Amino acid sequence: MYTRSIVAYTSNLDGYMPRTVDLLQGTLDLLILKTLSWGPAHGYAVARWIETLTGEVLRVGEGSLYPALHRLEEREWVESSWQISSTKRRTKVYRLTPRGRQQLKAETGTWAQFVDAVGKVLKTEERPV
Amino acid sequence: MSERWLRWFHPTRRDPKRDVDDEIQFHLEARIGDLVSRGASTEDARRQALTEFGDADAVRADTLRIDQRIIRAERRADWISEFIRDARVGLRSLLRTPAYAITTVLCAALGIGVTGAIVSASYSILVRPLPYPHDEQLVTIYSDNPGRGYKSVNISWPDFIAWRDRNQTFSGIGIFTWNSNTISGGSGDAERVTGSEISPNLFAILGVRPAIGRLFLPNEDDRGRSPVALISHRLWLRRFGGDSALVGRTIMLDGRASTVVGVMSPGFNFPDRGDVWVPFITDPAQERHGNRGYAGAIGRIKPGVTVEQATADLHRIDALLAREFPDDNSGWQAGVLTMRDDLVGTLRKPLEVFLVAVAMVLLTVCANLANLMLARGAARGREVAIRAALGASRGRIVRQLMTESIVTAVLGGALGVGIAWWGVRLLRFAFPDQSPPFFVTLGLDAVSIEFIVLITLVTGILFGSVPALRTARANLDTTLREGSRGAGSGLHRSRLRAALVVSEIALSVVLMVGATLLARSYRNLAGSDLGFDEHHVLSARITLPTSDYATRGEAAVFYQRLLDDLRRRPDVVSVGSAQGTPFSGWNVQGEAHVEGAPPPKRGEELIAHYQYVTPDYFKAIGVPLVRGRWFTDADRDSLNPVILVNELMVAKAFGGRDPIGKRMAGSGSDHAATVIGVIRDFRHYRLPEPMGPAMYYPYASYPGRQQTVVIRTSHDHPQTVIPELHAAVRSIDKRVALYQVQTFDEVVSRSLWRQRLQGNVVSVFAALALCLACVGLYGVISYAVAQRTRELGVRIALGASRGRVVWLVGKESTRLVLAGVSLGLLAAYFAVGLLESLLYGVRATDPGTFALVPVVLAVVALVAAIFPAVRAARVDPIIAMRSE
Repeated sequence: MYTRSIVAYTSNLDGYMPRTVDLLQGTLDLLILKTLSWGPAHGYAVARWIETLTGEVLRVGEGSLYPALHRLEEREWVESSWQISSTKRRTKVYRLTPRGRQQLKAETGTWAQFVDAVGKVLKTEERPV
Repeated sequence: MSERWLRWFHPTRRDPKRDVDDEIQFHLEARIGDLVSRGASTEDARRQALTEFGDADAVRADTLRIDQRIIRAERRADWISEFIRDARVGLRSLLRTPAYAITTVLCAALGIGVTGAIVSASYSILVRPLPYPHDEQLVTIYSDNPGRGYKSVNISWPDFIAWRDRNQTFSGIGIFTWNSNTISGGSGDAERVTGSEISPNLFAILGVRPAIGRLFLPNEDDRGRSPVALISHRLWLRRFGGDSALVGRTIMLDGRASTVVGVMSPGFNFPDRGDVWVPFITDPAQERHGNRGYAGAIGRIKPGVTVEQATADLHRIDALLAREFPDDNSGWQAGVLTMRDDLVGTLRKPLEVFLVAVAMVLLTVCANLANLMLARGAARGREVAIRAALGASRGRIVRQLMTESIVTAVLGGALGVGIAWWGVRLLRFAFPDQSPPFFVTLGLDAVSIEFIVLITLVTGILFGSVPALRTARANLDTTLREGSRGAGSGLHRSRLRAALVVSEIALSVVLMVGATLLARSYRNLAGSDLGFDEHHVLSARITLPTSDYATRGEAAVFYQRLLDDLRRRPDVVSVGSAQGTPFSGWNVQGEAHVEGAPPPKRGEELIAHYQYVTPDYFKAIGVPLVRGRWFTDADRDSLNPVILVNELMVAKAFGGRDPIGKRMAGSGSDHAATVIGVIRDFRHYRLPEPMGPAMYYPYASYPGRQQTVVIRTSHDHPQTVIPELHAAVRSIDKRVALYQVQTFDEVVSRSLWRQRLQGNVVSVFAALALCLACVGLYGVISYAVAQRTRELGVRIALGASRGRVVWLVGKESTRLVLAGVSLGLLAAYFAVGLLESLLYGVRATDPGTFALVPVVLAVVALVAAIFPAVRAARVDPIIAMRSE
């Protein structure tokens, strides 16, 4: 299973050396839900939005987006419909369901708590007694 | 949601593979487009897009798998919600026609219920494993003598030893014989308990363990060892209060202190029920090959050996024995039965008959339900046509109609469980003393319920499918045009319905023939002349303990005092005793020979029943003297004994000439006996087994410890003397137990339980089938009348008499009944072969039965058809013609 890992590019010393970072369970799902909360989008748009917003630091390993999207669809957090794109191609457009919106809210809270907790640990200078 | 609907109506457009390909393709093209617009070359852009995307094949496969999972789940959800919707529609439309609903549900319930009961009972008796590990390896071994027609008779000790020691196919063989013991002492009265004498290895061969203590040790059957016993869990609880310290202590068995070495597990029974088991102890020096007096042997076949191979192995030994002991063993061989066959015995055949009969009932039920559904389908033709016109596919309509039949079957099945439960209970009560054999647990368990669920679904599908297909096929155009008559493909349907009714009638005929034959057999048996008078008679067995009654003289004194005491009581007409009373199972036979007659050839010896009886025994059981005189108290000379013989003996041994004063040697005495009288033949053995020649010695010349006391009373209810009997025994000796206290009426009636059950069960099935067939016929005729209302109205208007109209309608019924009856008689002619061995005094192809059944059926069926015919005749022509 590769879907839970994304490739992080770093532009420092090593140049463009891809490094695999295991994302926490549900992180990619969370990012997708968030992007879809702005409105319906196809998979490519979701990929671009995530790329833009994470400043290319955290770029979705593109392909892994699709199994994730379909799994969200299976859980009925997103729903999809086929539309014809401006280039006259069949395009599958995803949209957040009410249940997905609730899920996003809940996960956001959890994520914030998590970041907070990890941050606290990392900021601590001394070993706790 | 809308997508899902769209997919439903265009299922072919669903192609998840194409969807996934399109989606990924779009992504890649969009990316390439973006990169090109930023100035990259097409080639570079493509390469970068692919790299960025990652392993496209893996993504595709993964995504596709998820999509397929989604589709499956959706389909399932669709199917379930559709089923629920159909079930709800079906239930509602059933409720709209309560008469139809009640008829069909009851019909299904009866069919499913009786089938469930019979199958459940058959499973319990024929299939469920015996309570022994690897029960398929266990066999019971008896003696057979095919030449003389003996099958499964007792075995002799030396034969058993030969089988045990010389076989190559058994992992063990043990011997057992039926036994009963008097437990006395401690709290409570002396009581008689049954059980058996067993070789020490027997229970280990069965593979059972005691709950407390141990089994017998290998040498505990040596003569002269202090007595030991195993007791049942049941007896341990009942008589000894479940005292775990009992093992190792002694109890009084037949007046001897016996050490209890173990208590068996709860539910363990042997050979049938059984409470006390003691080692089988004999004096090998005294045993002869010809003394076939022990119940049987039980063996465990080595793994991988078949019963046939084991039998052949024992027959090989039998051939050697026949050479070594020609007098005792020629013609004899081991009869090997699997333990299951031995235990099931004569129950197998009736169960097979019940299974066939119940299958016929179930088929009749299905035919009837299909019939009712077709009638309903006809009435709903318009509804179906409209649905079809509105775009429902044929498959969809069939599914909806099927759902309705399954709803009916499920409702019927739920009721059927109740009927099956009740039926199984009835079957349990049918067994003698309401207790089925120990290895049978009758009841509705998980297996039965599973089976009922299965029958329910099969029934639902069976009776539902044909009408559903028929109704759905109904031509849209004609149906709608036929308008209010709404008949669908009318002719076709009525022909199918006629066929169903004909088969219902035919099945009822078969069942009725079977029932009549079995009922007649039972009547013949129950009505057969027993030769003795079973009314007003009470009997009870007594076995005097060896320790207290060491000599024959002491036993004689006990019985003399007891009989004298009883005889003096005012309500006792006569009293006597014998070793075995009629129908008690007592069956001891031996060679007999008339003095002066030429010696018989080997294998043609005269074999006669013999036993010791007191002077008034025959008066007490109501058997008259034909010639000569009765025994008197003075007939007690054992060196020069006297005997009574029966008429069969006179015919067989004396060629019908007067035997009085002639002398006969028999197995009952070492000395030839003088015949002093002839009694009338009576049925000593259980029906239908015939009686053979018999000779009776005076008890006084050879007194034994075990007798059955028979009291003829002046009461209609002989049970009223039971307390007096107990008092009389107690006043002589408190340690003596009375057992098998029962009236002759009970004994006789119980002996025919199986025949009675056969007759009753099949009769109930036949009645059921007959009712169903009538309902079916009524339905078809009513429908035909309803369809012809207009025509009949015209006829009446044109002057046809009412009688003529009744005839018109009646003609149709007659045709159906005739077809059904002739088909049924033909089928019955072939089916009755199955009953052959269960019949008594009536041939399977009894002409009377084959003539009577069709008449009864025709009368009942035509009565069912007469109502619609009369209704037809009452048609008011004006209304009939306006109704269109």
